[in-house]
Amino acid sequence: MFDILIIGGGHAGLEAAHIASQFQNLKIGMITLPGVGIASAPCNPSVGGVGKGQVVRELDALGGIMPKLADLAGIQFRTLNESKGYAVQSTRVQIDKVNYSIEAEKLVESISNLSVIREKVVGIENQDDGSFTVSTESSTWNSQKLIITVGTFLNGKMHTGSKTSIGGRSGCEAADSVSDFFKDIKTNSLRFKTGTPARLDKNSVNYEVLEEQPSDSKVNSFHVLHGTNYRKLDQVSCYLAYTTPETMKTIRDNKEKSPMFNGQINAVGARYCPSIEDKAYRYPDKDKHHVFVEPESHELDTVYPSGISTSLPEEVQLEMIRSIKGFEKAEIKQFGYAVEYDVIETTELDKTLQMKSRPGLYFAGQVNGTSGYEEAAGQGYVAGVNAVLAILKRDPLILDRNESYIGVMIEDLVSNTRDEPYRLFTARSENRLYIREDNSILRMNKYRAHLELALDIDQYQEEYCRSFMFYMEHLESLYISPDNDFVSSNNINLAKRSSLSELIKQSDLDPIETLTKYFEYCGLNVDPRLIDCLAITIKYSGYIDRANEQNLRINKLNKIKINWENLCSSENISFECKRRIEKIKPETFGQLRLIEGIRPATLAAVAGQVNAR
Amino acid sequence: MYNYDDKTIIACSSGNSRCAISIIRISGKDFLDEINSFFSIELSSLTPNLAKFCKIHVDDKVLDEAVLTYFKSPHSYNGEDILEISVHGNPINVRRIIKTFTNNSSLREAYPGEFSLRAMNNKKLTLAQVEGLDLLLNANSVFSLDQGLSILGGDLKEKFIELHSAFLNHKSSLELGFDFLEDVGEEQFNKNFNESVTKLGNIIGSLYEQRNRSPYNLVKPKICLVGLPNAGKSSLFNNLLDSDRSIVSDIAGTTRDFVSEDIYIGESLYTLIDTAGIRATEDIIEKEGVKRSLSILENSFFKILLVNPSTFDKDFYEDLANVSFDLIIFSHSDDEGFKKSLSKNGLSILQNIGPIEPSDFGPIEPSDFGSIEPTNFGPIEPADLGPIEPKIEISYSANLKSSQKQLNNLIFNMISSKYLKLIDFDPVLIERHSESIKLIYEKFEEYKNTIKNIDDISIISSELNILGHCISELIGIISPDNVLHNIFDNFCIGK
Repeated sequence: MFDILIIGGGHAGLEAAHIASQFQNLKIGMITLPGVGIASAPCNPSVGGVGKGQVVRELDALGGIMPKLADLAGIQFRTLNESKGYAVQSTRVQIDKVNYSIEAEKLVESISNLSVIREKVVGIENQDDGSFTVSTESSTWNSQKLIITVGTFLNGKMHTGSKTSIGGRSGCEAADSVSDFFKDIKTNSLRFKTGTPARLDKNSVNYEVLEEQPSDSKVNSFHVLHGTNYRKLDQVSCYLAYTTPETMKTIRDNKEKSPMFNGQINAVGARYCPSIEDKAYRYPDKDKHHVFVEPESHELDTVYPSGISTSLPEEVQLEMIRSIKGFEKAEIKQFGYAVEYDVIETTELDKTLQMKSRPGLYFAGQVNGTSGYEEAAGQGYVAGVNAVLAILKRDPLILDRNESYIGVMIEDLVSNTRDEPYRLFTARSENRLYIREDNSILRMNKYRAHLELALDIDQYQEEYCRSFMFYMEHLESLYISPDNDFVSSNNINLAKRSSLSELIKQSDLDPIETLTKYFEYCGLNVDPRLIDCLAITIKYSGYIDRANEQNLRINKLNKIKINWENLCSSENISFECKRRIEKIKPETFGQLRLIEGIRPATLAAVAGQVNAR
Repeated sequence: MYNYDDKTIIACSSGNSRCAISIIRISGKDFLDEINSFFSIELSSLTPNLAKFCKIHVDDKVLDEAVLTYFKSPHSYNGEDILEISVHGNPINVRRIIKTFTNNSSLREAYPGEFSLRAMNNKKLTLAQVEGLDLLLNANSVFSLDQGLSILGGDLKEKFIELHSAFLNHKSSLELGFDFLEDVGEEQFNKNFNESVTKLGNIIGSLYEQRNRSPYNLVKPKICLVGLPNAGKSSLFNNLLDSDRSIVSDIAGTTRDFVSEDIYIGESLYTLIDTAGIRATEDIIEKEGVKRSLSILENSFFKILLVNPSTFDKDFYEDLANVSFDLIIFSHSDDEGFKKSLSKNGLSILQNIGPIEPSDFGPIEPSDFGSIEPTNFGPIEPADLGPIEPKIEISYSANLKSSQKQLNNLIFNMISSKYLKLIDFDPVLIERHSESIKLIYEKFEEYKNTIKNIDDISIISSELNILGHCISELIGIISPDNVLHNIFDNFCIGK
C-alpha cells in the first residue's frame, strides 16, 4: 500500500513524487510508461522563460527538483528582457534533454521511499474506503492518494498530414485503456491541441548564415546551493534563422493538407503558440518569422527549430524547411506533428488541485490544460505536497497569487474554465513588481517553513532572510554625505546627505552595481544573490507601495473565505448565479468575483453574509 | 477601483432629494478636533447618543443650523466614531456643507457603500443591512463595459468606449514588451508603445476638455442672460432679483462686464449672471466683455437669450450659432421698430403672424426663426441629460409691471424643473464622472512624466496600472485576460 501513487513520470509527476518523498515516513510510487525517460522533454529543450523562470526559482526556494535538474543539464543560460526592468527579467536555460532525463533517473533512484513502476496502467478504481487501486499489466497497486499527471495522453491523437495515430507523444505507447475510469471525471468540453516542429540533423544546418546567440556566463544558475553561475556541461550557442516568402508560399499552397485547417483536427491550440500554418494563414502579409535553432543534447545529433511547429504532411514539411536560409540541405530526423487531447475541467479542482467530488484524487500538469514544463512542475509540486499534508491531516499549502506565479496559475486554473491551453505570462499577475526572480527566496520562505521539512536549502535560506533584514535596516538607517569617500571615488552625483537606500534609488545609478561597489568599499563579502535582491527591493519599494495602496482593500476582500454551499441555499441569490457558483465552487470572495456572469447584487449579498458570520 | 484608505469620510446619508432634513454623516477615528472649527460648539463636550443644536460656519459665515448626534466607537452603525449632522434638507445646502469639509480638512467624500464596507470590516453589519454595498461591488467586479455604461447614452458613452479601447491597446503594447518581446522585436514594441500612448493621451485630453467645457456645477448653478445691447438683460436681471443691482439705461452697452448675484429659486441657490452686451465693436473693453460672456455662457446651467427684434445683428447670432438656449425671450416686441425690422431683415415667416400682442404671442417653432439654426434648440449638452422641454417663448416688456411676476414665476419654474430633473438623474454620478475624468487626466500627466524619466518598463507598467484603477472606476475593470486576448488577436505571437 502506497501513501501516494503518481501516474505519469513527466515534469509534473516527478515534481510531485520528489517533494512527497521528502516526507520521510511516507511511501511514494510513480508509475510511468516503459521505454520513456523520466522528465523527458518532448517539445522545446528549454526550462524557464518569461514568467516561467520565476516559477522555477519559486520551486527552488520550496525545495523543488526542476531547478536542480535544469542546472545539471543546462547548456545555455540567458536572461530574457534584460533591458526591460528587473521585475520582468527571467532566466531561460537550454537543457540537454538526454542529460536532463539521466539526472532525473539518478535522483529518483537515490530516494529510498520512492518506487518507480515502469508499466502501462490498464485500470484505476476508487475504493469505498476512499483509497485507489491501480492495475498495471502485471500487478495491482493500492494507494491512499492518487495524483494523475498524464500530460497529453488522455484520448491523445497525433497528426502528421493525413496520417494519424493514437497516443500522446511520438514514439510512445498509447495509454488509453484507463478511459473507463475517466468516464465520470469531468473533462473540458473543448479538446486542446499542441504541436511540435520537425527535428533536424544538426550537421545538415549551415550555421554560417545564421545569427549566433551565445550562452551568457553571468546568468545565475537556478539552484541556490549550486552557487551563482554553476555550469556542469559544455555551453553551446543557439542560432536565429528566418522563414522566407517561399516557406510561407509552400505552407499556403498546401492549406488543404493541413489537419488544422481541413477539419481533421477539431481542437483548440494556444494563440500564443501558433503553428507555422497558423502564422501563414492568419498573417497573409507576413513572410518573415523567427526560427530559433536550439540544440537538443550533446548526445543527440538533432536540433529543435523553434517557431515552425507543424502538422503538415512529411513531404511538405521537408520542402518548407529547406526553403529557410541555412536549412537548404537540412535533413529531418523526426517529423513534426500535432497532438489533440482531452483536459480536465479544472474548475472541478480545489486550490490543492484535488478533485472536489473525489477526495484523494489530484490532477497536475498538461492534463489540466496548461502548456509548458514549468507550469507542469509547479502544479506537480502543489499536488504532491498537498496530498502529503492531507494524509498528515495538516493545513494545505496554498500559495497566494500576490506572492507567487505558482499561486497565480493555480487560482486562474481553478477559477475559470479555460478556452485555450494556459501558459503563464507576467501579464497575468497583478503584482508583477513584487513577484520577481531575485526575491523568490524571501517570497517563499514562509511556505517552505510551513512544510517543516529538513531540506538541504533550509540553512542557506534562513541565513539569507536574516541577512536581508539586517542589511536592509542598515541601508535605510545609514546616512552618507556628498563628500564621503565612497561617493567621490565612484563619481556619484549626490545632492545632499542621504540614506544609502536613497542613494541606491537614484535614477542615474544602476542599483545592483552601486550596492555591489558599496559592499566592496566596506570590505564586506556579500552573496551576489542577496545583493540583487536588496538592490532591486530598494529600487522598487516606492512603486510597490504605491501599487499596494491601490490593491490593499480589494485584496483583503478577495481573501475572505466563503462557503459556496451556503450560497446556493441562499434566497438572496439568483438561480443563474447559483448555477455558476455550483459549477465553480469558489472558496474565496476573490474567486467568486472572477466567475463570469456573477451579478454585483450577488457579490453584495455574499460579502454581507461572509461578514455577518 | 476606489482608493480605499482609513481617512475620515463624509457623505449625505439620507436620500438625495428635497426633504425637510438631510443627514450628513462623518465617519472615522478621532476626527472631532480637526473639524471643530466649523461648529459653534465645543465638540469634545458632546455626550454620545445625545442630540445637540449648533451652527455650522466657515470663518464668520454661517452655512446652516444643525443638530449633531455623536456616536462613539464601537457603539455606532459601523463601529467607527460617527458624527451625524442633521441639516436643512436641500441638496444644494447639503453639497455645500460637504464640500466645505472636504475642501478645508483632510476629510474625503465616501465612496458608494463605504460606510457599510467599514461596518462590514468592523463586523457591525448583517446581510439585511448591506444594501448600500451593491454599488461598491459593482465598481469592483469584472462587469462588462456595456453594463457599466448602460446608465449613459450618446456621445459620452462613445467617448468612454474609446477610452476603454485606447487604454486596453496601450496596456497591451506594454505587455507585448514583457511576455512577447522575442516575438515582436524591439522596433515594433517601441512603435506600438508610442502610438498607443499618444492616442490614449488624445482621448483623455479631449474628455478632460469636454469636462471642463460643460461641467454643470450643481453647487450654485449659473443662470446666464445674454442678448444684444439694450435687449433688456439688465431689466430682466433686476426683475428676477427684484432689485436695482444692474445699472439700467437706454444707452446701448451700459453693462460692460458681467454682474452676478446669488438667487434662491425654490430652495436652491443659483448664480444669476447678466453678461455684457455682445456686439461687434472697436471698444476694447467691450470686446473683452464679449469674449468673457461667451465663455460664461458655455459653463452655464440655464441659458436665456434675450432678443430685441428691432436690433437684429447677424454677427451676434452667428457667434451664438453653437449655443443651445433653454429659453428665448423677445423684448420690445410691441415696438413699432420690431415690425419694421421684420420686413427690413426679410424674416418673411414672421410677417404672416400679424399684429403681435404680448398675451397672444404663441409658441414659435425654432425652425421659424430665421438665422438661428434649428439645431440650436435641440438637446442640451451633455447629451446624456436628454432633450430639454422648454420650447416656450414669452413675449415680454419690462414696462409691463403686471406681467412681471408672472414672467418670473414662469422662468423660475423652468429652472427648477430642469434642476430637479438633473437631481433625479443622479448628480452624484455625474459629479463622480467629472471627478474621475479629472483624476484620470492628472494621473495621465504623472504617467507621462514616468515615461519620460524611467526606462524600466515594469515600473512604467505598474504606474500605468494606477492610471488603470482610475479608469476602471469610470468604465469598469480591464482584466489581464482582456489584455492578453487583445494581444493574441492583434499580433503575431509565439514560437
